[in-house]
Amino acid sequence: MTNAWMRTGLLAAVLAAVAVPAAAEWPNDKPITIVIPYSPGGGFDTIVRAFAPTLEKVLGAEVVPENIPGAGGTKGAATVHRSEPDGYTIGIYNIPGFTVNQVLGKDMGFDLDEVTWIANLATSRYAVAVKADSEINSLDDLCSLGREAKMSDTGSSSTASVTTRISFALIDCPLTDVAGYEGSNDAMIAVMRGEVDGTVKPISSLKKYVESGDLKIIATYTQKDVLDGVSSTGSLGHADLAKFDLRRIIGGPPGMSPEIVEKLSQAFIEAANSPEVQEWAAGAGIELEPVGADEASAMMSDLSDFYSQYKDTLAAN
Amino acid sequence: MGFDVLTNSLIDVLSSGSAIFVLVGVALGLCFGVIPGLGGTTALALLIPVTFSMESLDAMYLAGGVMGATSFGGSITAILINTPGTAPNAATTFDGYPLAQQGKAGLAIGASATASAMGGLIGLFTLLVFIPIAKEVVLAFGPAEFFLLTILGLTAIAVSARGKLLRGLIAGGIGLMFAFVGLDGITGQERFTVASNYLWDGIPLVPTLTGMFAISQMIELALKGGVVAAEGDGLSRRISGIGSGIAAVFRHWTVLLRGSAIGTIIGAIPGLGGTVAAFIAYTATVQASRKPESFGKGNIVGVIAPESANNAKDGGSLIPTVAFGIPGSAETAVFLGILVLHGIDPGPSILLNNEREIYGLIVALTLSAVGASIIGLLTARWLVLITFVNVHILVPVVVAVSLTGVYVLEGKPYDVILCLIMGILGYIMIRFDYPRLTLVIALVLGETCERSYHLTMMISDNHMLQFILGRPAATILLVATVVTLCLPFARKVLERQRSRA
Repeated sequence: MTNAWMRTGLLAAVLAAVAVPAAAEWPNDKPITIVIPYSPGGGFDTIVRAFAPTLEKVLGAEVVPENIPGAGGTKGAATVHRSEPDGYTIGIYNIPGFTVNQVLGKDMGFDLDEVTWIANLATSRYAVAVKADSEINSLDDLCSLGREAKMSDTGSSSTASVTTRISFALIDCPLTDVAGYEGSNDAMIAVMRGEVDGTVKPISSLKKYVESGDLKIIATYTQKDVLDGVSSTGSLGHADLAKFDLRRIIGGPPGMSPEIVEKLSQAFIEAANSPEVQEWAAGAGIELEPVGADEASAMMSDLSDFYSQYKDTLAAN
Repeated sequence: MGFDVLTNSLIDVLSSGSAIFVLVGVALGLCFGVIPGLGGTTALALLIPVTFSMESLDAMYLAGGVMGATSFGGSITAILINTPGTAPNAATTFDGYPLAQQGKAGLAIGASATASAMGGLIGLFTLLVFIPIAKEVVLAFGPAEFFLLTILGLTAIAVSARGKLLRGLIAGGIGLMFAFVGLDGITGQERFTVASNYLWDGIPLVPTLTGMFAISQMIELALKGGVVAAEGDGLSRRISGIGSGIAAVFRHWTVLLRGSAIGTIIGAIPGLGGTVAAFIAYTATVQASRKPESFGKGNIVGVIAPESANNAKDGGSLIPTVAFGIPGSAETAVFLGILVLHGIDPGPSILLNNEREIYGLIVALTLSAVGASIIGLLTARWLVLITFVNVHILVPVVVAVSLTGVYVLEGKPYDVILCLIMGILGYIMIRFDYPRLTLVIALVLGETCERSYHLTMMISDNHMLQFILGRPAATILLVATVVTLCLPFARKVLERQRSRA
């Protein structure tokens, strides 16, 4: 009898010893894993690896980027979703790619609405580009060719293709979406070869080809003019087009404690503002736009509402 | 101008301590090449985290060392145990292995080492010549040209399957069906994914290749027993022939040049890669030969063609890279990833902004192509001993190592299962005499073929033929395809006329 009590007591003591400090001492128990749902070397991988060393300094804990590629990025995200919400496993998400999947009811192995959003690291804005020596100089020119404008894209479930199709429908521009190029670089080179009229891509990707004299940007998907001599869709009277963008957003499993989320969120923002990360971003052409957990969550539900309006356009592949 | 920078880069490597990175790369590349299931892409992918703390230039040396050495490393196992160490060596097994069985492994390895080094050098030389017009070269190749190249590749399947045309076509058809598994590249619809998101990205190439070539061959060997080298007692023969292997490459210099040219061109096409390059080089050589029936039985030319092509492709795959900062192969994709990690944004100005890195890589590739072959030649006499190891020791080692390699690449247990399934399928194909490489080539070509067909239809407003005839490169490819198809018939007709006369 006494023995049994003692054993229970001992067990309780051991449990308490294990459990209590674990919660109190985050993030010092074990390394923090940041899941990247794509192979090494891509955009999502790079930004996480660029942040990792500074994050380690700020948090005073080990940070390990882990690549779990597969299933169009949903495998890694689903892995994060199934992890313990203890702040030791978080991940980077492909947004609005996953938002579109969710709107279309595709089974991704997890529910995007349940994700605990931690911070948005960077946002890329889109722009329309044509060949540098093209006679097309504005969206008006592009939409009044007397035929459908041919725009190159990666697969039609890609974010850029979704952006092209919805935005051209919004401005009543006749379109053939030549989707199926292997990557966004291939899609831009297709414009240079002259087989398509133009392409909609993130400004940061297009800039390289503008600087090399191969492409020219004719409109940016922004509220205000951001490039010299290029009209923004906002100034052209298409307010909604500025809502299309590409995010590098960090999230975690459902049910993370608000304190840990807050600490992580602060750490990401501090890292984003550090000279090391700033310098890296300038070299790599990344537009950092760090925001915390609350804003990131609000942003995500905005995006979900935004894309839900265009469910029919999205579904019509 | 390019050559000045090149000499400077060469002096840079040799005068600094950085040459050690090239050397380490070569050693790693050889090891990853020799081991079935592990290849250049795996080696580079595993190295990415390591390079994070290195200077970008040193990372290039390491990457170049690995890239240049893997394809020769892979030819060693292809010749000795009929198991290509990397996929691009698959075509080398056709004539390399029969040579090893005849106890002439030294001859085959000598030829492979020399063809690899020479092919690598020719590919890089071509790259240097093309650097000033790299942009024009890349812009000349659009979806229409890609489509025709894949058709040309598929045509080569029919040509390669001499006397086994039906079997070749069946295997190719199965390969194409495998290629259609996964998300449709154009519409994003799921196809044949049997409700498993493992198959969303399609049937992965590395586990398939490893199963088809390594596992199936191990099943075959295990059931047969004994040793690989059936003829000759080994001790007397194992050293001989290396010198004549080297000489054979220079004697058949037209084969070397043709293989290298094909390798360079195919290498420049993203998505096709060394496996296709080596295969087309092999079939082109068979077609051009006056004694096509001597292939598959140990014709040394059948080793030279694919080995020169799969090394020359490295030079070719850098053409899109210097032009626009885009990858021409899986290896260059990882290499660009390493640059990105070092805060360099590869783009059309890569050659202006990152001249040191690009030329550093070219120098490393050059040193590696030659260095790997020299190491290979020096160690050949011991390597050949593998063919005298009892298969009961050989088989478990190869199976364990290659399955580990498959798992390491992406850490997916399903990859291992797929590899085993493909191994059994491959063994069945060996037993019933169906060509395995045909299936694999169709699997590699299928996706690019389908994708570029759709793109060409869209950009040509459904007038494909007119569009093709309006583009010079496409027209040449169309003619080449027709010639490839008609040549065997034309030959037959000629022979008949001759025998009548």
